Amino acid sequence: MALVGASYSINAEPFKAGGAPGTQTIDGYNALGPQVEQPIEFPHYTHANVMKINCMYCHTYARRSAVSGIPRLDKCIGCHKMIPEVRDRPRIKKLFWYWDNHKSIPWKKVHDLPDFVRFNHERHIQRFYFQDKRPVREVCGYCHGDVANMTTARRVKAISMGWCIDCHKKDHQISAVNLKTTNGPNDCWMCHK
Amino acid sequence: MATEKKPVVDRRDFLKVLGISGAAATLAGCGNTSIESGVEKVQSYVQPEDFVVPGNSVFYASTCTQCQSNCGIMGRVREGRVLKLEGNPNSIISKGKICGLGQASIQVQYNPDRLTTPMIRDGESLVPATWDQAIKVINQGLGKDSQISGDEIIFLTNGVSGHQKVLIDNFLESYNSKNHIAYEALSNRVGETVRENLYGYSNPVQKVKDAKLIVSFGNDFLGSGVSPVFMATQYAQFRKAPRGTLIQIEPRMTLTGGNADRWYPIRPGTEGVFALGLANALVQHPEYDKTVPEELKLALKAYDKYTVGEITGINPDAIGHVVAMMWEKSPTLVLSGATAEGHKQGYQNAYAIELLNVILGNVGKTVTPPTENPFPQMNPINASYQSLVNLDNQLNTKKTKAMLIMGVNPIYTGPSFVDIKNKFKNVSLKIAMVTQLDETAEMCDVVLPLLSPVEEFGTHVASYQPEGIEISIQQPLMEKLHPHTKSFGDVLLVLLKERDPKNYSKYPDYYSYIREAVVKSKPVFKSSMTDDEFWDSALMNGVLHVPPKEAEFTKIKLNTADLPKAENKPLDVNYPFYFVPSIKADLRDGKHANLPWLQESPDPMTTVVWDSWVEIHPKTAEEMQIREGDILEVKSSMGSLMAKAYLFPGIQPNTISIPFGQGHSSYGRYANNRGVNPFKIINPITDEKTGELALFATRVQIIKTGNKEKVVKDEGPTTLQQGRKLVVTMAADQAELSKEV
Ligand code: SF4
Repeated sequence: MALVGASYSINAEPFKAGGAPGTQTIDGYNALGPQVEQPIEFPHYTHANVMKINCMYCHTYARRSAVSGIPRLDKCIGCHKMIPEVRDRPRIKKLFWYWDNHKSIPWKKVHDLPDFVRFNHERHIQRFYFQDKRPVREVCGYCHGDVANMTTARRVKAISMGWCIDCHKKDHQISAVNLKTTNGPNDCWMCHK
Repeated sequence: MATEKKPVVDRRDFLKVLGISGAAATLAGCGNTSIESGVEKVQSYVQPEDFVVPGNSVFYASTCTQCQSNCGIMGRVREGRVLKLEGNPNSIISKGKICGLGQASIQVQYNPDRLTTPMIRDGESLVPATWDQAIKVINQGLGKDSQISGDEIIFLTNGVSGHQKVLIDNFLESYNSKNHIAYEALSNRVGETVRENLYGYSNPVQKVKDAKLIVSFGNDFLGSGVSPVFMATQYAQFRKAPRGTLIQIEPRMTLTGGNADRWYPIRPGTEGVFALGLANALVQHPEYDKTVPEELKLALKAYDKYTVGEITGINPDAIGHVVAMMWEKSPTLVLSGATAEGHKQGYQNAYAIELLNVILGNVGKTVTPPTENPFPQMNPINASYQSLVNLDNQLNTKKTKAMLIMGVNPIYTGPSFVDIKNKFKNVSLKIAMVTQLDETAEMCDVVLPLLSPVEEFGTHVASYQPEGIEISIQQPLMEKLHPHTKSFGDVLLVLLKERDPKNYSKYPDYYSYIREAVVKSKPVFKSSMTDDEFWDSALMNGVLHVPPKEAEFTKIKLNTADLPKAENKPLDVNYPFYFVPSIKADLRDGKHANLPWLQESPDPMTTVVWDSWVEIHPKTAEEMQIREGDILEVKSSMGSLMAKAYLFPGIQPNTISIPFGQGHSSYGRYANNRGVNPFKIINPITDEKTGELALFATRVQIIKTGNKEKVVKDEGPTTLQQGRKLVVTMAADQAELSKEV
C-alpha cells in the first residue's frame, strides 16, 4: 500500500447521514444520533476505508474486553511518526500536541450505554469475527454502522433494548463451516447485572 | 500439572463468622434510560503498560491500614481507578480475605470531604494555602536553622510500624529528640503488659484453630480484636468437625459473643474473680492439681463458687459447667479482652485469665511464642492511653514548641477530664497531616493534605504475627486523585533533607527511601534476585515473609500478688448503672465514622444504623418503664449524653452501653452531628498497674427526658414490620439447610 502521496482529499470523505435524529430506519427503530463534536475530527474513512486498516488494529481491546476502548495515544503516534508527509496537517498537529504534552485526548462517547446495561464487545467479536469468519467491517457495523464511511463516528443504529433483542432472536449460523444455527441469549441478567 | 488447591476455609465459612460483610454498594445509572451521544468523555491512555486492557481489571497487592492487623490486600483497578479491595492470598494474615472496615477504605480515597490543599491558620480560622506557603510556615519553626530540640518537639501518631515509624524516628533524631508519642484510645496495653510479664511476649500466638474449647472473657476476636480477619479464618476451622465450643463471658454481647455456644453476662470488672473461681474448681481435678504451686492453690481457696457467684452475678453452677468442659476438652484456649481489662483491676483481671492458660497446660500448645522479627526497628510502637497522659503532662510544662500530629484525633477521643484542646494553645506550631479535617486538625496551625492509603507507599508490621513475621508492602493502587496532596514521607523528607543533607539528599522521594529499605533487607531473605527483581517481587506479592521459628517460653512465674481481690463492690446509689461502651468492628474509636458504607452497615448485634443508641436490658427497661426510642440522658460524674433507648437482651441487667465512634463535630458530612461520643463521659479511673484508662469502669445514672424518636434499624421479626412478617428469621439449629438451598 502506498502511503506516500495518496490521491485523496482529507476533506472529501463521504458521510452518509441517514436522516434526521428520530427518523425511522429500515429496521424500524429511531436511529440516528446527533453529530458529536470531537477534539480531533478523526477520519475513520481515511483509515478504515482508504488505508483498509482493520478496525481491530486500533480498537484492539474489542476482542479481549467488554469495552472496545479508545486506542492508546502511543499507538496513533507509533504510526504517525513514520508518516512525515501528513505531519503538518492541522489534525495531526493537534495529535502531536497531546503527545508532546503527555495528555490524553478527551474524546466524546458516541455510543454510551446506560450504566445498567453491560454490553460485551469480546463475546460478539469472538463469535462473529473469529468463529464465523465474517468481515470485520460487517461485524462492527452491526451496531456501529458503516464507520469506515464516516469521518467522526455517529450513531446510526438504535441500540435500544428491543433492537438488541431483535438480533438475539435471529438465528445465526454457528460458524463458517457449521451450518447449525443458534440465537443470542435472552436472559435479562445477561445484560442487566 | 498444577492441581487446584481447595481453600481450607471457603468464602461461606468465612462470611458466616464475619459481622460486617459486603459493605459494597451499587449505584445504578441514574435516570439514564437510553443511549447517549456526545455527553460523557472517554479518555484513552497515553502510554499504558502493555498488560492494561480497558474494561479488564488489573490487581495490585498492597496493605490495609484501616486497623493494626495490616492485612495484605489486592486492589482491583480499572481504567486507572481503584474500584474494589480484596484480600491478598499471599498474606499470612488475611489469607485472601478482608473485612468490611477494610472494604470501606476505598471511601477514604473518594471521600468528597477529603482535604485537597494545605490550610494555614489565619486568626480563628484555617484558610486554604499553597504548599510553598505551608512549608514556609513550617520552616519558620522547624526549618534548617531551627534550634528546637529534645522534648520541645512532639510527634504524635497512632501505633505506626514499618518504615513509617523508622522515618518518623529519623526525623525526630535530626532534632535530637526521641519524643514520638503513640496514642491509641482503644489500646490493648493492659493485656499486653500482663502477657509480657507472664510469658515474656506481649502478643504470643493464640491458636484458635487448634483449640477444642475457647473461653473468652470479653475478647471480641471476630469483631474488633487484634486481627479479626485472621481470627475469622481460624475460627471457621475451629468450628469444623469435630466442632469446637466457644464460651464467652462479658457484660455486653459482642459479635464474638453472638457466635458463642454459651454466653454469660457478667458484672463489669469482675471477670478476674470469675476466672479464679474457675481456677479454684479446676485444681480440684488431680491432673491440674499437680502443676499448681501450693501457695497459689491456697490463694485460690477464697474463690469458691458461691462467693464468685455473688460478686460476678453469674449463677454459681456455671463454674461447674465450664470446668467440666475444660476437663473434658483439650486443648483449650482462654482469652482476655477489652471489657475485662478496662478496669481499675484490669491488670489483675487479665492476669487471672491468663493464669487459666497456665493451669490448663495451654502454654506451648495453644499459646505459643511469636517469631522474632529480624527487623525490630520496624515493630509497631507501643501505643496507649498513657501516651495521652504523657502528652498532657508535656503540654502542661509549656515547653513544647512544635507538634506534628498524624493518624490520631485526641481532641475527639480524649476523655473530658484530659483537656488537650485548651492546652493546644500552649504550642506555637501545630502541624496536622490528614486526609480529611477532623476535630484535632481543626485546632492546628498548618494542616497538610496527605495521600490516601491507596495512593501511598509504605511497609507495615502488624503487632499480632500468627505465623512467622509478615512485612506487608503498601503501594499505590492508583495515581493520586488530588494534585495537591502529598505523601507523608515526602513531607518529612523535604524537612529532613534540609536538616541532614548528608544522609537524606540521596533520596529524591519517599518511594526511593522505601525501595532502598526493602532492597536492603534482601540478605535476610537469602534471595539471589537482583535488586530490581527483589523489589518487583515484593510489590507483586505484597508481602515479605519470615518463616516461623520454633521458640520456647522461658520459665513462667506465677505471682499471687497480682490476683484480683474477691470483694463485692456495692453500686453507687447516685450512679446505679455500669457503663460499658461497645467497640464496633467498623467505627472503632471513631476514626472511620467518615465512611458512609460503615455508617449504613447495620450494627451486627442491634442492626441500628447511622446513629448512637443506649442499650438497656428489657427487664431493667420494664422496671423503669422505658420503651424503645425513648430519649435517655446517660449521666456520669464527668458529663452526660442523650440517645435513644434500644432494648437489648444481650446485656447484663445493671449495665448500659453506647457504642463508640459517633458524636463528631468536625469530620465531614457523613460523621458530623450524628449520635454521641461516649469518651466524653468516661470517669477518670485508670488501671492501677499500667495507668491505662479504665474504659469500662464508669458508673452512670439514667434520666428519662420524656422525648421519643424512632430507632432506625434493620431488624427481623421482633418488630412489627408494618403488621406483617416481612422478613422472618429462624434459629440456625432449626433450619434444615439441605432443604433451604
Ligand atoms: S482486619 Fe483491619 S487490616 Fe484487616 S482488612 Fe479489616 S480493617 Fe483492614
